[in-house]
Amino acid sequence: MRKYAISDSQLMSQYTNGNEEAFATLVDRHKKKIYTTIYLIVKDQYLAEDLMQEVFVKVVNTVKTGRYNEEGKFLPWVTRIAHNLAIDNFRKAKRYPTVVMEDGSSVFNTLEFSEDSIESKRIKEDTHALLRDLIKELPDAQREVLMMRHYMQMSFQEIADATGVSINTALGRMRYALINLRKKMDKKNVAYDKNLYPK
Amino acid sequence: MLRMIKTFTQNDLVRYIYKETTAEENAEIELAMLFDEKLTDEFAELESVVESLDLAQKSPSERLVDTILSYSKSYHLHSVD
Repeated sequence: MRKYAISDSQLMSQYTNGNEEAFATLVDRHKKKIYTTIYLIVKDQYLAEDLMQEVFVKVVNTVKTGRYNEEGKFLPWVTRIAHNLAIDNFRKAKRYPTVVMEDGSSVFNTLEFSEDSIESKRIKEDTHALLRDLIKELPDAQREVLMMRHYMQMSFQEIADATGVSINTALGRMRYALINLRKKMDKKNVAYDKNLYPK
Repeated sequence: MLRMIKTFTQNDLVRYIYKETTAEENAEIELAMLFDEKLTDEFAELESVVESLDLAQKSPSERLVDTILSYSKSYHLHSVD
């Protein structure tokens, strides 16, 4: 985790005092983590953008109305809002009536398939996108811990408490998630060269 | 007297990579890695995946970022108190 010259809490303090540049710095610093958290749940870039906008409307409203609790850390707070909104959206989407095709399959499966095949052409050229796809393929429990720890920056103890398992189980799930990703990356020949893909 | 080198598990390595180990544990893990090639390999493997996760993050569009910043800047113009 990177150390910044000005911490998030200092920037938030400046933002609560009306410094918009401080807010711009925070957004720029964390936009990828927040967006990726949403994207990995909803798996649609347009929907992910809509939800990210909704997240920041909540953030801005909270700060501008003086309701921001300075005790919390900025990124875990925002990613939790993002995670909850994305999960709510996912659950609502699951409640939509399913149109069944003649062969018994869902019309949404067909649509999803055709979207995927268009998308897959682009994905093949994009190593980063491929890794995100591999994350989506992980078993739910492993993907959940990985997202909570890596993108939402919750501690393993917080994850254990939130998911009702022991800290060792949470750690084990994270370890399996990382090992599984490594295997999948090897299988697909996903190789990251830090010189080619600087942070 | 020879110092005993503690045994560490992959779960400990995960905590170490995510900076959830104490300063004392860090020193012990780093010492253990000097003598345990398997542990060092496991660390390198896990850490490389963690680095990849950072590299694989996706960016929202610039248009969205501009919309968010504009919303904040003009909040008092459009808010209804």
